Amino acid sequence: MASFGRFIRLAVGACVFLLVIAASAPCNAQQVNPTASSVKEQQLLQELNRIQGRVSIPDQRSGVLEQPAGRDWREFRNVTLRWIGGIAILGIIAVLVIFYLIRGMVRLESGRSGRTIVRFTAFERFVHWMTATCFIVLAISGLNITFGRPLLLPLIGFEAFSEWSQWAKYAHNYLSFPFTIGVVLIFLMWIAGNIPNKVDVEWLKRGGGIVGHDHPPAFRFNAGQKAIYWIVVLGGGAVAVTGYELMFPFYLSGIEGMQLAQVVHAVVSVLFIAVMLAHIYIGTIGMEGAFEAMGAGEVDLNWAREHHSLWVEEEQAKGHVPSAGTRRAMPAQ
Amino acid sequence: MKAFLAALLFAAIAAVGVSVLLNAIQEPSSAAFTTGGARVGDPGHNLIGPS
Repeated sequence: MASFGRFIRLAVGACVFLLVIAASAPCNAQQVNPTASSVKEQQLLQELNRIQGRVSIPDQRSGVLEQPAGRDWREFRNVTLRWIGGIAILGIIAVLVIFYLIRGMVRLESGRSGRTIVRFTAFERFVHWMTATCFIVLAISGLNITFGRPLLLPLIGFEAFSEWSQWAKYAHNYLSFPFTIGVVLIFLMWIAGNIPNKVDVEWLKRGGGIVGHDHPPAFRFNAGQKAIYWIVVLGGGAVAVTGYELMFPFYLSGIEGMQLAQVVHAVVSVLFIAVMLAHIYIGTIGMEGAFEAMGAGEVDLNWAREHHSLWVEEEQAKGHVPSAGTRRAMPAQ
Repeated sequence: MKAFLAALLFAAIAAVGVSVLLNAIQEPSSAAFTTGGARVGDPGHNLIGPS
C-alpha cells in the first residue's frame, strides 16, 4: 500500500512537471519581442503621411517631427544639391584649366604704352573688394554647409569640424550684411554702363577677344562684364533675400517657404560660385593687365584700346586720356 | 591696396556691428522657445549653445 502511494505521488508530480513545461513554452515565445505588434515609424508615415505630436514649449510647430515636404527637401539637400554643386564647381574648374592650357593668357598684343588711364576710382574698388571678400567667405562657409560633412569632417574629426562650422556659420550670417550693401552699391554704381546694346551683340559674335585674337570694340563694360554684372545683381539679390528668409525663420514664411528659399539659395549660390571662378580667372591669370584695373585702378592705355576702344574714345573726348608726354590720366567718371 | 584694406575693415566693422545689434534685439533660443515650466540648464553647456 505504501509503495502504491509513492507511485501515485510520483505520477502526480510528473504530471505537474509536464503541465509547467507545457504552460511556460508559449510564454517564452511571447517574451522574444514584446513590441512586435507596436506601431512603427514607417506604418505611421503610411497612415498619416507625417509624424507629429504634442509639445509643451510655446512654439507648437515644433511638434511636427516629419512631413512629406520635409523628406523631399532632405533628399534634395543631401543628394541632388551635392550633385548640382559638384558638377557646377568642378566642371567650371575643369573648363578653365583646359581653356588655359589651350588658349593661355590673353596677351597685350600691342605691348605697354607706358601711359595709364584711370579705370576704376578708389570708391569703386572699395565696393568691389568689399563685396568680393565677403563673397569668398560666404562661398567657403556656404560650401561647408553642403559639402563639409562628407568631405571635411572625415579629415579633421568631429571636434575641429564642429568648432570650424560654428565660426563659419557666424561669418556666413554676419558678413551677409556688408555683402548685401556691396551688391546694392554695385547695382547703383555701374547700372548706367551695363545696359545691353548693339555693340554687345557684335562683341559676342566676334568671341569677345577671348576666343581667337580679335579685339571687338566695347564701351566701358563689354558683354562679358555686363553678364557678370547682372549675375551679381540678380544672383546676389536672390541669395540675399532667400538668405535673410532663412536667417529670420517664420518672419517671412512658414516651413515650406523656407524649404523653397533654401533650394533657391543653394542652387543660385553654387552657380554663382562657378561664375565667379570664371570671373576671377579672367581678372587674374586669364588676361594680361586685367588685374591692374581693380588692383591699382589704372590700366595701360594700350590695354584699354585693345579691350575697350569705344570707352577710350569717350574718355579722350572728355580729356581724360593722357597725352604722349604725360604718364598718368585724369580720373575717369 | 588702400581700397582693399578699407574694404576689409568696413566689412569686419559692419559684420561685428550687425552681430551686436542682432544679439541685443533677439532673444537666445533657450529663452525664446521655453516657458518658465521648461527649465534649461546652463545654455553654454548643452545643445542649445551659448546664451
